[in-house]
Amino acid sequence: MNLRKRWVAGLSVTFALVAAACGSTSTGSNNSANQTGTLTVWLMNGSAPDSVVNETNADFKAKYPNVTVKVEIQQWSDVTTKLDTAFQGSSPPDVMELGNTLVAKYAAAGALLDITGQKASFDNSSTWLQSLTDSCTQGSKLYCVPYYAGSRAIIYRKDLFASAGVSVPTSMDDLLTVGQKLMTAHASDPNFSALYFPGKYWYAALPFIWDFGGDIATQSGGKWSGALDSSNAEQGLTTLTNLVSKLSRADKTGDEAKQDAAFAQGHIAMIIANGWEVGVILDPKSGNPALKDQLGAFPIPSHTQGQNAPVFLGGSDLGVAAHSKHQDLAKAWIALLTGNKHMAEMATVGGVIPNTTSMLNLGTGINATFYNAAANSKFVPNSQNWASVESANVLPDMLVKIFTKQQDIPTATTAASNQISSILNGGS
Amino acid sequence: MIAPGTAQGIRTRTEREAVSAGLSVNVWRRVSQLVYDGVGIAVAVVMLFPIYWMVITAFKPGRDILTLQPKWFPAPFTLDNFKDAIARPFFLDDVRNSVIVVAVMLALALVVAFLAAVGTARFGFRGRTAFLVMIIGVQMVPLNALIIPLYMLLDSAGQIDALPGVIAIYLAVVLPFMIWTLRGFVANIPVELEESAMIDGCTRVGAFFRITFPLVGPGLVATAIFGFIQAWNEYIIAYVLLSSPNNQTLTVWLASFTTNHGPEWGPLMAAATLTGLPVVAFFLLLQRYLAGGLTAGAVKG
Amino acid sequence: MGLAITAPDQGPALYSRLRRRLFPYALITPSVAVIGGILAFPLGMLIWISLQHYGLRELINHQGEWVGLGNYQKILVDPLFHAVIVRSLAFTFTCVSLTVALSTLIALLLLKVRRAVRVLVMSALVFVWATPVVVTVDIWQWMFDYEFGIINYLLTQLHLGNFIHHNWFDNPVQGFAVIVAIVVWYSIPFVTITLFAALLQMPSDVEDAARVDGAGSWRRFWYITAPILKPIFLIVICLSTIWNFGIFNQIYILLNQRPSSDYFTIAIYSYRESFGVTQYGLGAAIAVVMVIVLVIVTLFYVRETVKVAEIS
Repeated sequence: MNLRKRWVAGLSVTFALVAAACGSTSTGSNNSANQTGTLTVWLMNGSAPDSVVNETNADFKAKYPNVTVKVEIQQWSDVTTKLDTAFQGSSPPDVMELGNTLVAKYAAAGALLDITGQKASFDNSSTWLQSLTDSCTQGSKLYCVPYYAGSRAIIYRKDLFASAGVSVPTSMDDLLTVGQKLMTAHASDPNFSALYFPGKYWYAALPFIWDFGGDIATQSGGKWSGALDSSNAEQGLTTLTNLVSKLSRADKTGDEAKQDAAFAQGHIAMIIANGWEVGVILDPKSGNPALKDQLGAFPIPSHTQGQNAPVFLGGSDLGVAAHSKHQDLAKAWIALLTGNKHMAEMATVGGVIPNTTSMLNLGTGINATFYNAAANSKFVPNSQNWASVESANVLPDMLVKIFTKQQDIPTATTAASNQISSILNGGS
Repeated sequence: MIAPGTAQGIRTRTEREAVSAGLSVNVWRRVSQLVYDGVGIAVAVVMLFPIYWMVITAFKPGRDILTLQPKWFPAPFTLDNFKDAIARPFFLDDVRNSVIVVAVMLALALVVAFLAAVGTARFGFRGRTAFLVMIIGVQMVPLNALIIPLYMLLDSAGQIDALPGVIAIYLAVVLPFMIWTLRGFVANIPVELEESAMIDGCTRVGAFFRITFPLVGPGLVATAIFGFIQAWNEYIIAYVLLSSPNNQTLTVWLASFTTNHGPEWGPLMAAATLTGLPVVAFFLLLQRYLAGGLTAGAVKG
Repeated sequence: MGLAITAPDQGPALYSRLRRRLFPYALITPSVAVIGGILAFPLGMLIWISLQHYGLRELINHQGEWVGLGNYQKILVDPLFHAVIVRSLAFTFTCVSLTVALSTLIALLLLKVRRAVRVLVMSALVFVWATPVVVTVDIWQWMFDYEFGIINYLLTQLHLGNFIHHNWFDNPVQGFAVIVAIVVWYSIPFVTITLFAALLQMPSDVEDAARVDGAGSWRRFWYITAPILKPIFLIVICLSTIWNFGIFNQIYILLNQRPSSDYFTIAIYSYRESFGVTQYGLGAAIAVVMVIVLVIVTLFYVRETVKVAEIS
């Protein structure tokens, strides 16, 4: 990049001017090897409670008194733009939290450090949640440490169920019957939804596809092929479409961002949601705390009586940048945050699902349902190109087309499958 | 809505009729004035409604925000959203950073742009056309496409996560616009004014500063407001370049109100109201220059 | 030609003439230095990347794979790209015409209203302008919301039909109507304030004279006001075209950062190819083509502007 160097020389005058105008802010990073320097950590907005981060830093300080830890909270909007630019820069953050569907892309591009050799040094690495471990694994190498998980179940209103004389459904057919009874009981309310299902909510659509034995894509001989047009997947989508058309008045082209606020308004009996959304619904500022005793949760039922559908395991992982200048410190910090002590706090204080099956018993009350759901969970195709499938909105677009009846199920799934095959097999 | 042009057309016609009917022209003046004012108020209401909605939302308690039957007034009324917004970490740091970025950028930009505007509006020289074309052309490149190259550039200069880097980029982005617009304003002032002042004994520079400079006032104000708003509201460059929470600008702070589960409406609207206030204050400070008075007498002379 | 030629020659001395020759260059040097210093490398880099296969791995290693015009060939045969270009052009034309027409009317109106109303309208314009785009789009999105939106509520209350649970975005034509409204709403303040500032600069005796001559208001506007405002109109039209052709935030945020391809405009398409599917080479090529199209579209205005510049 000689071209670049030359430009920089010419630029220095401009910068000197600007820098002089507002006080200099030099960012010198100390590069000495004996455990000094600054460790930069990027966590996402809303991931770990401040108390957990502070305690982790305190413990870290005790071990490495000469190292400064800078935890920088990143915003969700345009985060991949920020990550892309940071990874190509000369000083990326040392530790970064990545959504579990993003890891494969960055690992394959060489942005993340291979930590296979140190796996055993992290607490509970033998009992990490399988789906999270999968998300960190690329070609049998480990590129990140599972951080926390989120899995979905159905949150429902006990009082509405009681007044309609229905109980928790035990199969998908039952879910429809229960929902229809609720709809009849509230026939006079034009805003009522028995099961509120926004059209783009693809995380919540996956359990239906998986439960009938379908999948997003399958891999054989290193080649992916989209599988949404399989008869199993279509069966799941038919069941879901039927539920949505009969039970939901949610926006068929909208996403799930508003569902908790909507639920708190009182015209909804059931939503498919993460465990922490209970807190959003009951939040005194934006929700309705009066619903506290009326909320219950049950797993998304399977079409087979008495069983549960597998759910999508969302969550985050912690990776070390390949270009990090403090790789050992970075690993040490991750080991502390994901260690027994602080991971337990993540569950008890933060209310998220911890990264290990050995802590799933920490979920109590309504949380227990969500923790248990994590045990029966699946993940998206583990391909470096999966993030591009998400960016291309393949699944939300397909669902919207089906729900709004712009296309029938076979047409929509075939188009989506072809698109998924081509993206997953395309080089990047 | 009645278009002012038509309204005026009607007036002149009706005026004539009025005169022929022997009515006082004054009455018709007053009526048409009322029509103009009415249309003006209607325009203001339509423009302001979304802003009104933002501000009253900021004063609503959370449960009144997303309701199936919208509430037109914030009753009950609460300041909780503002308290919540201000209590977010690094609010004051981010205010300070935004002020520094915008103030430094604007001070540099106004001087540099004014010089170039005068140069291109008052002098003919070889390369002027090329310069003007460059000024226009540069604005056609989408900023989003330059994120990575700009990052690379600042990275090599050691200006990542530093305000000077952001200031430099904003300066380069806003300058072409400012030069071009200011040039238009300078060119609109008749050279004859300067010349007559020079005949009266002023030097060229003196004539320029006594005659032209005050006349460009509204143009300078309009351009300054534009630059201010551009820089004050920019998000993606600030977000990508600035990582330390105490180093970020207000728009990045604003983004923190949008979680992975949608925006927190109340605090977001309160924060947005707070973010917009300085721009409005800046404008109010300068608006009397825009409202005329400065120009009216001078040009007639 | 400029003043340097028309003005009475004051200093015959050689050095003074030389100084006057160099003076305009001195005036533009700072801006050339800043714009060139900051933007020349990124622009060059953009073109360089557009000639390579540049994915995430290549980006991180700063080492692309040369494909010459491959990226351009790819997008030129891409039917989606054609649709996007046509859509962007139609969108731009609609937005610019509406913005300029409405803003001119408002600016003229501002001259007629009493002071208090003028301050009110100006304040309204500035409030709109002062609010960060991101936030305004959030508000609009919410106003057009499917279930909590005040627009649906209002239209239903006014008996203009049943808008309960009306979805404004499942039909792209309707969706774009909403987007045009939002963009025009946000563009009006800048254009109006600029035009108004220019109107204030206008010598009022010219118009007074015309009025005495009995010229109607429309004729006065067309034959007197408009020609004087021509340079400002050209600037405003040209800038609006540039901005609206590159429209990004409004659509991107309105559709929850996940617009479907029905809603792609060229800037969104370029951004999506770059940061969405990490095809930086393609994204850069789209951006370059975007600039080329813009140059062609605005050629007339740019020429006129530069011509006006020559005359003054």
